[in-house]
Amino acid sequence: MTPQTTTIAASAISATKVYGSGDDAVYALRDVSVDFYEGQFTAIMGPSGSGKSTLMHCIAGLDELSSGSAIIDGTDLSTLKDKELTELRREKIGFVFQSYNLVPTLTANENIRLPLMLGNNKGDEVWIQKVIDTVHLQDRLTHRPSELSGGQQQRVAVARALASQPRIIFADEPTGNLDSITGAEILTFMRKAVDDLGQTIVMVTHDPVAAAYADRIIFLADGHVVNEMTEPTADRVLDLMKSIGH
Amino acid sequence: MFHIALKGILGRKARLILTSLAVILGTSFLAGTSVFSDTLNRTFDNLFSDVFKNVDAYVRSTQVIEAGFGLEERQRITADIVSLVEKVPGVQDASPDIQAFARIIGKDGKPLGSDGQGPPTFGSIGEEFTGALWSTAEGKWPVGPTEVAIDEASAKAGKYIIGDTVKVVAQSGSREFTLVGIASYGDVRSPGGATFALFDSVTASEFLTKPGYIDAILVSGDGSISDTKLSEAIQAALPSTAKTETLTGAQITAETQDQIGSALDFFGILLKTFSFIALGVGCFVIYNVFSISAAQRQRENALLRAIGASRKQITRAMLIEAIVVGLFGSIVGLIAGIGLSVSLSALLRAVNIDIPSGGLVVSQNTVTSTVIIGLIVTVLSAILPARRAGKVPPLAAMRATALEIAEPGRKRLYAGLLSIALGIAIIVAVVAGASNNYLGIGILFVFIGTIVLGPIIARPVALFLGRPAARFRGITGVMARQNSARNPKRTSRTASPVLIGVALVAAVTALAASIKGQIDDVFTAQFKGDYAISTDVRGFGGLSPSLAVDLNELPQVEKATGFGFLTVKIDGKGQYVTTIDPATVDGVFDIGLINAKYSDLTTDSIFLSESYSLRKNLPMESTVTITLGDATERELTVRGLYEFDELAGNFVVNRAMIAKSSVVNFDVGVYIVAKAGIPDGEVQAALDKAVKKYGQGELLTKQEYINKQSGQVNQLLGLIYGLLLLSIIIAFVGIIITLLLSVFERQRELGLLRAVGMTRSQVRTTVRWESVITSLLGAVLGIILGIGLGWIIVFTLKDQGLTSFKLPIIPTIVILVMSFIVGLFAAIYPAWRATRVNILDALNTN
Ligand SMILES: Nc1ncnc2c1ncn2[C@@H]1O[C@H](COP(=O)(O)OP(=O)(O)OP(=O)(O)O)[C@@H](O)[C@H]1O
Ligand SMILES: [Mg+2]
Repeated sequence: MTPQTTTIAASAISATKVYGSGDDAVYALRDVSVDFYEGQFTAIMGPSGSGKSTLMHCIAGLDELSSGSAIIDGTDLSTLKDKELTELRREKIGFVFQSYNLVPTLTANENIRLPLMLGNNKGDEVWIQKVIDTVHLQDRLTHRPSELSGGQQQRVAVARALASQPRIIFADEPTGNLDSITGAEILTFMRKAVDDLGQTIVMVTHDPVAAAYADRIIFLADGHVVNEMTEPTADRVLDLMKSIGH
Repeated sequence: MFHIALKGILGRKARLILTSLAVILGTSFLAGTSVFSDTLNRTFDNLFSDVFKNVDAYVRSTQVIEAGFGLEERQRITADIVSLVEKVPGVQDASPDIQAFARIIGKDGKPLGSDGQGPPTFGSIGEEFTGALWSTAEGKWPVGPTEVAIDEASAKAGKYIIGDTVKVVAQSGSREFTLVGIASYGDVRSPGGATFALFDSVTASEFLTKPGYIDAILVSGDGSISDTKLSEAIQAALPSTAKTETLTGAQITAETQDQIGSALDFFGILLKTFSFIALGVGCFVIYNVFSISAAQRQRENALLRAIGASRKQITRAMLIEAIVVGLFGSIVGLIAGIGLSVSLSALLRAVNIDIPSGGLVVSQNTVTSTVIIGLIVTVLSAILPARRAGKVPPLAAMRATALEIAEPGRKRLYAGLLSIALGIAIIVAVVAGASNNYLGIGILFVFIGTIVLGPIIARPVALFLGRPAARFRGITGVMARQNSARNPKRTSRTASPVLIGVALVAAVTALAASIKGQIDDVFTAQFKGDYAISTDVRGFGGLSPSLAVDLNELPQVEKATGFGFLTVKIDGKGQYVTTIDPATVDGVFDIGLINAKYSDLTTDSIFLSESYSLRKNLPMESTVTITLGDATERELTVRGLYEFDELAGNFVVNRAMIAKSSVVNFDVGVYIVAKAGIPDGEVQAALDKAVKKYGQGELLTKQEYINKQSGQVNQLLGLIYGLLLLSIIIAFVGIIITLLLSVFERQRELGLLRAVGMTRSQVRTTVRWESVITSLLGAVLGIILGIGLGWIIVFTLKDQGLTSFKLPIIPTIVILVMSFIVGLFAAIYPAWRATRVNILDALNTN
């Protein structure tokens, strides 16, 4: 499925990230330039230590680049102060992490609305109800995370990411801790969010099956973008992974 | 295992410092107060060992009246004995000694030295004497009825130079003298901050006491015989009718040091009591910190268990940590305590108590007891958490979170309720008539019960108190409320020190409010004047009796009456009797006379309080024998009974009754009724002028006077607040430590919140409100307990005449507001730390 528009939601331009200095310097990203298109589901793949998480963190405003720039919705993140960055994360970005996504003292409902409430924003109630319906959480809303299964917790996390209608959602191995059936459930749901709701999603994953849900895959190795694939299938992904020596 | 324990400690310096902080604070207060009392003790010991340094024998009266509170009043001897003493072989020189009340008036008309509580103001003899410590720094010793010498410190304070005219107030009134000498005392300008006016011996006894009377005789020997022999020889040479005893210099020194020592002991015990309370509060903090760190290390300990460590080894590792923390904390606390005592001494100097500096006294005892107590307290506080740490199942290593499992059990509920019920039962028994001695035990049980129930109460109460925050602070308030309730054990352990501190403050406040209310009521009912002249000098000097006489002469005054107190012996016991002037007292000072007139109080009669008359079976017309201070007896007939004994006590006599004795009497107050129709301003001006003439006493309106009486409670209250501050500080630090540990523990959560858009200021708000809720939790429970406690104490004091309990409403509000503020302040640093959490680090930690 090729994107209908080519509006760019987020991009990295000559992004470089170095940890340490001198002989000990570790290049997590080397001159990476990549665009993420609106309404598209993009997966980032690559071997462990290839810089996937680093790239995602830098574009999402959780970390700073050593050089180059990260741009969200036309704004260069390096120009923002901490408070503006925080607001940008709250309003324009949604997050789904591999684990520990929820605040243990808040109910599922409160967790879903957390970014909105932090911004003193009521949000679009019709939209939020629709999200809750789609993730099948109606009867779990008053429960706290400790009373939810791992899959339910991840669904709450995805619902939270969607609830504030962000420009882009970043997900770092959202299904990494789940069994394949629950994982598929979450991925289907993310896919639907892109198709039906026009959401933009960037997802880091190791799993070719998960990556196959995406519209486009970017392959990283050793801090470089080494390949790209559109309309992937699990088999094609596996083949490519073998060919680049994953 | 020791190796692992040590590694655990060094690996977490921050935790070591936090845990030690509570130990440091607790022990530093202990060490500080102990060093301070020791230093004070030695200072006064030295001071008084100097006073009689050159005195070989000391002659004084055998007549003493115990006046209660460990005070005693010794009678005077006649001055003619001095010449007898001088003739005794072995005596080189004998000098009369007088230590009486005298107040030097400054050039601005204000008396030098402080009123009441401060160091005393003395009048004494300044003459050439080989045994004297006084020496003239400038000028000469006074000779004759118009000359005076004063101590160097007073001369400086009053800006007096030789040749000036100095006004001095004493028992017989005020008089002006020419300053002929400035004296120094050993190597200090004035002993212990007291002021001294020195006269020749004839003037001193005539002006300060009664003509012909002195307090004692100081003797220096010629060295031919021992002090003991000398004393015996002197005593043998004196007639038995003189009622004297002769002590050696060493004996009088030891006696004086003992007296001062026991007065200081009381102060020392007070300080120690409150520093032990503070240490007890510190125990909670130490216990809490160890519990939290045990919980945070649950996984680590479980892992150790899984790979083969025994329960005992885990427990022992934690106890070793406690020993290290206890030792480290106590030693640092000891050093901090010495610093604390320096600042206490500086405080004394700031209020002008010029103590000869001999350096701080850090006794062996202080060092060992501080370190040992600190160590014991720390290890005791760590035992429970350490045992709990040992009980952690190896399986816990696989669990995801390291949260304390905190479901308060049923056992706790029963134990807590039982303890409270037991306490209340004891209190009820006391209220119903059992001995008041059991009250403390009952109160202790209620406190223990409340603290045991803490974890159960904490959650609902914290949720309730957090409601406004959740309502008005949006999501941050909601989270603060939930955080304060998420771990009820921890919250209640953090709030307990606050609870204890606040409860004590509230109890003392309630008691003080009741006493003040009572004083107000009593004075309003019994003091019928428009004005009062009062003095802060008690027991030692006061207002000259001629003041009231002068005031009655004024055309603006309808009536003025003075009253005072006299120490006498009745039934072999020291008692205070109130002296009044029957001619002027009617309608000014109301003692609630029953079936009698004030004019019935002739010099051979006495009025008794109704309750005393009933208790001792002394009806009207019966006889009461009183022994005056000079050992003379008076047979007095009961000519009236009265109802109000709060001010007058049990005995009222005519002031003229003592006329033919050597006893002196001051007024402690003069009450005045103004003539009707004269403007206030005019009356006040006239009274003011009359009072100024004496340089002593303060003119007050009725309301000012009543306020001043009840205000005296405030001074004691202030002292106790000050001492309780130690506990409050520890409670405050306890909140800081717990919050910091919670912030460390919630790193991931904070990282997540920051990632999804929580601003730093929102993070701060969350921590701040959590802190406020915790602090308020302790305060609210503390106020409830404290006011209950206050009520019970007031109730048991009913026999002592405290009849009504007054709820301290405004102080209660103040305490709540203060707890709120304390919560805000305690959160400052932890909140700042919380905003510094690195989002990525937090998200990456597993
Ligand atoms: N804080 C850091 N300090 C030093 N090096 C770091 C730091 N964070 C990451 N790195 C290094 O940067 C490189 C990229 O790390 P990154 O976490 O982006 O890898 P990844 O592709 O997400 O790997 P994985 O699939 O294992 O999650 C790695 O070599 C890593 O060791
Ligand atoms: Mg990664």
